[in-house]
Amino acid sequence: MTEPVTEPLTLTVRRVIAAPAARLFEAWTTPALLRAWWGPKDVRCIEADVDLRIGGSYRLGNQLPDGRVLWITGAFELIERPNKLVYSWQLGDEPTSRVTVRFEPVEPSGTEVTVFHERIASAAVRDDHGNGWAGCLQGLADWTVAARTS
Amino acid sequence: MIEGVKSSAARDDRLDDLFGALADRTRRRLVARLAKSPATISELAQPFDMSLPAVSKHIRVLERAGLVVRTIQGRVHNCALDAEHLRDAAAWLDRYRTYWDDTLSALAEFAENTK
Repeated sequence: MTEPVTEPLTLTVRRVIAAPAARLFEAWTTPALLRAWWGPKDVRCIEADVDLRIGGSYRLGNQLPDGRVLWITGAFELIERPNKLVYSWQLGDEPTSRVTVRFEPVEPSGTEVTVFHERIASAAVRDDHGNGWAGCLQGLADWTVAARTS
Repeated sequence: MIEGVKSSAARDDRLDDLFGALADRTRRRLVARLAKSPATISELAQPFDMSLPAVSKHIRVLERAGLVVRTIQGRVHNCALDAEHLRDAAAWLDRYRTYWDDTLSALAEFAENTK
């Protein structure tokens, strides 16, 4: 008989976006660009601070439809421009988790963006983040389309 | 100018990938299924009598072509269609639809006038 396996509290969201990895890495780490694309559709990024160095911290102000502002904060653990970022992640006063973002070029002209979120406290938090990250990647894809045509 | 040529070549490359991914009846059926609603890999496998790894492989091809977004929550793999890239394919086909509409009208006109 097999042992029941406890479900790992990890989350992966990935999507191919038609833009070079360097451009997407820049969008992910530049405050002015983050304000333009960060967050699912109904969330507005009202503030972004990024100190892009190992141990450097960041914070993102997310304004929800009801006007409340949720802060995401953390610090960078690994920076491999333009392919990989690892940072800690704390949403409000929830326990700290960890995010790894990979930007992998795919032929012919796109980048597969993979968000791997681990050490998540509960399945409910994980499922919320699933929608949140999918919304973020949608926002980033929409932003690259808008930036291309403007 | 160079930029324009480059981006049009890139667009052609993307279309190669897109139509390559769609040049398979199983993948077209998966796209048709996902057009209705997002689904898990096991839900997608059910009507196909295919193993989960086989379906997962087809989905991977669609992902790399930018047609599918995958979210993995623990062991559950959720797939959703990325309509943006399908729009590129539709736009390309549309140019030829206009061409054929015009050509067929011209043919009809020619046939009418030479009766």
